[in-house]
Amino acid sequence: MNRRNFVTRGAAGMAGMLLSSPLTGSAAPPPGEAATRSAPPSFDLMKEVMKYRKIDVHAHIYWTDDSPETQLDYGRRLGIEKQVISRYLDVMPGTPEQFRKFNDLTIKAIKKYPGQLLGGFVLNPVYQKESLEEIKRCTDAGMIGPGELYYQVKINDPKYFPIIEKLIDLKMIIHSHAECQLGVGGYRMKYNGYKQPNTSIPEDFVDIARRYPEGIFQYAHIGMGGDWEYECKLFREYPNIYVDTSGSNNAENMIDFAVEHLGEDRLFFASDNSYYQGVGRVLSANLTDRQKQKIFFDNYNNLLKKGGRGVD
Amino acid sequence: MLIDINAYVGHWPFMQLKYNNCTALVERMNKYGVETSVISNLNGIFYKNTQSANRELYEELKALGTQRKRFIPFAVINPTYAGWQYDLEECVKKFGMKGVRVYPKYHDYEITDPALIELVKRTRDMNLPVAFNYKMVDSRQRSWMDIDYVAYTPKPEWTLKNIFPIIKAVPDAKYMILNVTNSMQLDAADAALFKKARVLMDTSGRTINDLGSLLKTQGTERFAFGTHAPILDYLTGMLRIESLRAEEADARVKELLRSGNATHFLGL
Repeated sequence: MNRRNFVTRGAAGMAGMLLSSPLTGSAAPPPGEAATRSAPPSFDLMKEVMKYRKIDVHAHIYWTDDSPETQLDYGRRLGIEKQVISRYLDVMPGTPEQFRKFNDLTIKAIKKYPGQLLGGFVLNPVYQKESLEEIKRCTDAGMIGPGELYYQVKINDPKYFPIIEKLIDLKMIIHSHAECQLGVGGYRMKYNGYKQPNTSIPEDFVDIARRYPEGIFQYAHIGMGGDWEYECKLFREYPNIYVDTSGSNNAENMIDFAVEHLGEDRLFFASDNSYYQGVGRVLSANLTDRQKQKIFFDNYNNLLKKGGRGVD
Repeated sequence: MLIDINAYVGHWPFMQLKYNNCTALVERMNKYGVETSVISNLNGIFYKNTQSANRELYEELKALGTQRKRFIPFAVINPTYAGWQYDLEECVKKFGMKGVRVYPKYHDYEITDPALIELVKRTRDMNLPVAFNYKMVDSRQRSWMDIDYVAYTPKPEWTLKNIFPIIKAVPDAKYMILNVTNSMQLDAADAALFKKARVLMDTSGRTINDLGSLLKTQGTERFAFGTHAPILDYLTGMLRIESLRAEEADARVKELLRSGNATHFLGL
């Protein structure tokens, strides 16, 4: 008999005795005791959902036949007026042929649903000339700026500088994937997060935001599962870093914490296709209606307007 | 009426939680129209002797006065720790607890550990549910001191396949599966067994994003409103129910999801 078996069997014997010997000295509320229980007033959640205009600033489309209709259907269900979509470049090495193909998918979608979808392009600064050409091609096709730039190159890599300068000239919001997880992208690398080595991390955003204070940077998905407390604390002093609230992890208090550290103007509502979490976490935040409206719609739209791309 | 089948009080050692005591939770419930919450004490995940946490919850509820009836307390039991049988008895008979929550990963035992099987058989015989969850927090934001089941690594977060062996071992027990955040896929034989089992899943987890389809494949009686509060936000689990369209869930089914299934399953 090992130690665990001994402990388990010994305890079982004791419990057997307990079963035949009722516990004494109970202070439990007697079963069925009448206690005052007034039902709380009902809460009309869907009325609350539909109260706010919404732009989902970080969403994606897929290669499947049901896309983007499935994404649009979630939007209708939750009162999301517009979605900024891209087909993120989740392939390596991310050649010009690949990013053009990915952007073609987005162009096709925004042409089909111009009232609901705003397009974001992807590129790979390793191919600088082709990336700059792609910015022009996609802008001419009606896209509003970069979609979620991905993990081929860190956002503060010098290869990005001419790209970022072009985006600043065009008054576009510079949106990049980033993570804050143990063992990813240079953060606490004694762990292994099994992610691409060039994944951007919060420090990379701070670096590029300091280099280009006139740039407007969108740090992707503080709700993706990274350490949002770390992210918000690090970004506090960098007013040109905005955070999008998307991701599948709808942690309680994340939005409140972000507003406390960044202010109510530096958050963008987003889902990253986790639509329920995206809406739920903002609605449940301890904020005023006006603050929620700014996050859901106004903050992002005000920046779009600076580039002549506002949606109202 | 809304019954939340997945809420907590207590602390998470790696991050401060808000609304993590009964008084704050009552305010949350009142604000959002929730009448009753199933709660357990998070501290029981981290205390070696989980009974201390169960006693804390009992004392907190006792001090709550008339509002205590709005809570259905569940015990946290570690079946590999000495004296758990006594603890279970005390939780049920003295503390008035109506179910058990177990944490195999945090308490460091396998899903088929004989001690767990014994616990589940005992809860079955007491007609009490035993609750499992996929995970407590998103592994991508885990502290360096937390358990190391991490998404997209060789030691990933749990899926239904990791929980299913206990259902197979004790198929006639009552199970709650909470914070369903990863795959629900099982092979055909196991899926058939799972469908026959007495299982209630809550709506807090991200895998429930297509609840309309799940109601068709799993049945309308296997889901109930849950928040996983205060770790997850209070409204997302509710939103998955309230945003269902009439063709996905009529008024009767919505009431089952809000409270009917929980009432039936918990014998309220």
